[in-house]
Amino acid sequence: MSASASQALAYLEELPLTVHKKLYQQPSTVLAIFRCMLPHLAKTIVMAMLYMTGPLPIADLDAWVREDARSEKDKAVSNLESLHIINLEQESPKQYTYRLNAGFARSLRQALTGGGSHASFGVPPSQPDPERVDLAFLDEYARKRWETILYYMVASTSGLANAESLGSGVNDGTKTLLRNGEFVRVIHGKAHITEKGFSFVLQEVNSQVWSLLLIYLKHAEQLQMSEVDILSFIFMLGSLELGQDYSTETLSPTQQKMLEDLSALGIVYCSSKSSTRFYPTRLATTLTSEAGALSTVEPVIANALDAPSQGSSGKGYIIVETNYRLYAYTSSHLQIAVLNLFVKLTSRFPNLVAGKLTKESVRRANGLGISASQIIDYLATHAHPQMQKNNPVLPPTVMDQIRLWEYEGERIQTTDGYLMKDFRDEIEYNEIRAYTESLGILVWRNDHKRFLFLDRLEQVKLYMENKKNRGRSQASK
Amino acid sequence: MNAIDGTDRQIKKDTTPPPSLLTVVLDTNPHAWAELSDTLPISAFLPNLLVFINAHLASGTENEVAVIASHLNRAEWLYPTPHVTSSPPGTNGSIATASVPGNPNKYRQFALVEASIISNITRLLDSLSESAVASTTSTLIGGALSLALSYIAKSEIRHSPVDLTSNGSDNPLSALADTEAQSQRLSLTSRILVVSVSGDLANQYIPVMNAIFAAQRKRIPIDVLKLAGDTVLLQQACDATNGVYIKPEHPGGILQYLMMGFLPDQTARKWLNMPGAEAVDFRAACFCHRKVVDMGYVCSVCLSIFCEPNLPDNLCLTCGSYLSLAAAQTGPPALIPRKRKKKKKVGGTGTDSVTPGGNTPAGSGTPMHA
Repeated sequence: MSASASQALAYLEELPLTVHKKLYQQPSTVLAIFRCMLPHLAKTIVMAMLYMTGPLPIADLDAWVREDARSEKDKAVSNLESLHIINLEQESPKQYTYRLNAGFARSLRQALTGGGSHASFGVPPSQPDPERVDLAFLDEYARKRWETILYYMVASTSGLANAESLGSGVNDGTKTLLRNGEFVRVIHGKAHITEKGFSFVLQEVNSQVWSLLLIYLKHAEQLQMSEVDILSFIFMLGSLELGQDYSTETLSPTQQKMLEDLSALGIVYCSSKSSTRFYPTRLATTLTSEAGALSTVEPVIANALDAPSQGSSGKGYIIVETNYRLYAYTSSHLQIAVLNLFVKLTSRFPNLVAGKLTKESVRRANGLGISASQIIDYLATHAHPQMQKNNPVLPPTVMDQIRLWEYEGERIQTTDGYLMKDFRDEIEYNEIRAYTESLGILVWRNDHKRFLFLDRLEQVKLYMENKKNRGRSQASK
Repeated sequence: MNAIDGTDRQIKKDTTPPPSLLTVVLDTNPHAWAELSDTLPISAFLPNLLVFINAHLASGTENEVAVIASHLNRAEWLYPTPHVTSSPPGTNGSIATASVPGNPNKYRQFALVEASIISNITRLLDSLSESAVASTTSTLIGGALSLALSYIAKSEIRHSPVDLTSNGSDNPLSALADTEAQSQRLSLTSRILVVSVSGDLANQYIPVMNAIFAAQRKRIPIDVLKLAGDTVLLQQACDATNGVYIKPEHPGGILQYLMMGFLPDQTARKWLNMPGAEAVDFRAACFCHRKVVDMGYVCSVCLSIFCEPNLPDNLCLTCGSYLSLAAAQTGPPALIPRKRKKKKKVGGTGTDSVTPGGNTPAGSGTPMHA
């Protein structure tokens, strides 16, 4: 399960049973949830139960799963239960059984056998498109739209002269979406990227798409759109065929409205707003698979087209050497802008930028809210195929050093609290010191200057007042 | 500063299970299926197999499938169809074949695989001539297994991030540094499922055994679904490669057998108690008449097995070395007296069991006594 899928899984698990029940009516949704959301063992359990005549007794499941895989089993079962895919039932006083959700089971069987007339895998239009578009066009379209969004976000920090103009094609809906997700903050009409935005930019495209779609979902209710409609549409998109056109006629009004927003994101392509057909792009069809979505490298996009034949290779472009030098085979402004966030770039060639990971550059990135692990993940996922031979992908010294640089920034620990000084005499100082120490609220002290630093004051205040009262009453005697 | 420790390296481990390739070897022997026509005709079995294949494809987003027919005297591809598309098919989601019409009720990938299998098997059965049926009653399981193994090997190369040829230990530093990331990055797990209906495969003892050893070496489990007949050979294949051997008692519930017994891939099998063959018949087939023998004669050079001692010219049929088996039959075996001076050695030379050399992979021994 990839990071992007776990994001979506967390969201799905929070939904109530009624929403789950409605979702499970669509075979495409069920298939997509099954394919990319469930842990591996959970899939195995579901498949074993799918064609079982009765429910599965809990003891049988325990016998089937090995003793040493108990934690895996518990995880799988808890996932399945929170998604309401299996329910625990009590058959007899002593026997508990798991039963597959009837709607889920029916839809999954339909998906596997191709039965029913649910038409949830997209309806191709009856007439062929006179202006049919090809795969290269779709990839180019999706890449352009997506990069525009990223440009818009990094425009404020990239330092590229033309970054603003590159990011100007983002429409208002998308801008609102980015603001809602707190990826950008608009100050004086200009977008400023936030810490969340930085981690978004450094994610893989697939995770980025999911992040945006989840924000879309969370704010759907404000737009009076139903969650179920949106979710089933997203999952349907994931099971469509790239390069095939689909009819919009069978979509619900919510979904038609959504189509417009998605085409602004580059997830689907419609030739015009009134068009009755749409094409899913690679961003859409890879939603429910782990094959890396479009890689943003320009020269590599051609390779991505025949990606299945090349496996996962051919998408990386970064080489990191043990001497912290970094070479990136790219001419994309966006990638250079992203690298510029944490690399000191020194020279640029037509298809290559070279630079160095320095303490300053990494510390600056840390200051912007980019963590060391994000940098390392980014470098590792975009590593050049030659680098991917290595295990681990990045040189260990470089990984360690990036982490150490980050730790270094965390050398100062801050604690909010109160400083006590100007004690009357040594006796009072020692008394208070002993008291606060026993309470465990003393953070720091300096005996020479008679300074105490406490993180809470109430008890000491009370103690001193009591003491004062006692002293006064003694004096009056 | 004590908190800083370079060894505390949290390498993000890829928790995604590797994609899994399922290679189905379907026995299409018409003689055997004809005998099964009362209980489970092939027309009833195929839909079950297709649902099973879909279930496999659904179990992982990058799972792949290949189907090979082990026919009368040849092995045929059912999926992927060779020479039609130049790009190797199989990965979920992006192979466009214009010939399959879009069906809104079916996931496209499933539709493509099904269409290909059905059309190929129809073609295969249509091309069946009477003379071919009459010529033999067996099936070419050995050829199909080798085809499956070579396809798996090719797929593994295709899936590795870079060419494996240069993937030596060329980075000793990283090897030292990370024990956690040391676990080999598996790019593809494969398994073979043999759906067998014909018995009596002893005439292919040698090619099948070779395939078994190759699979064992590459750690590819061979699962066997035995619908009819019983062969010693395939049981040994499962046993040697840690595969699953199931001979269903109720052929009607075949899908449940498939779903529960054969669907879990290698990743899932680590967590599950898988069914295994209870008593494995380890008997071997002789090299001269392809008969399964309880007791036979073994060439001392190449370990070939013979059922009778009368070899032409007293030469081994396989390696051609001098082998006088007649002498072994008449004269008592020469016993070399144990040397007294040598003290106890573990596993002293027994008199009755000739253990094969250390080159034979473990667990594959073929003792002569049943």
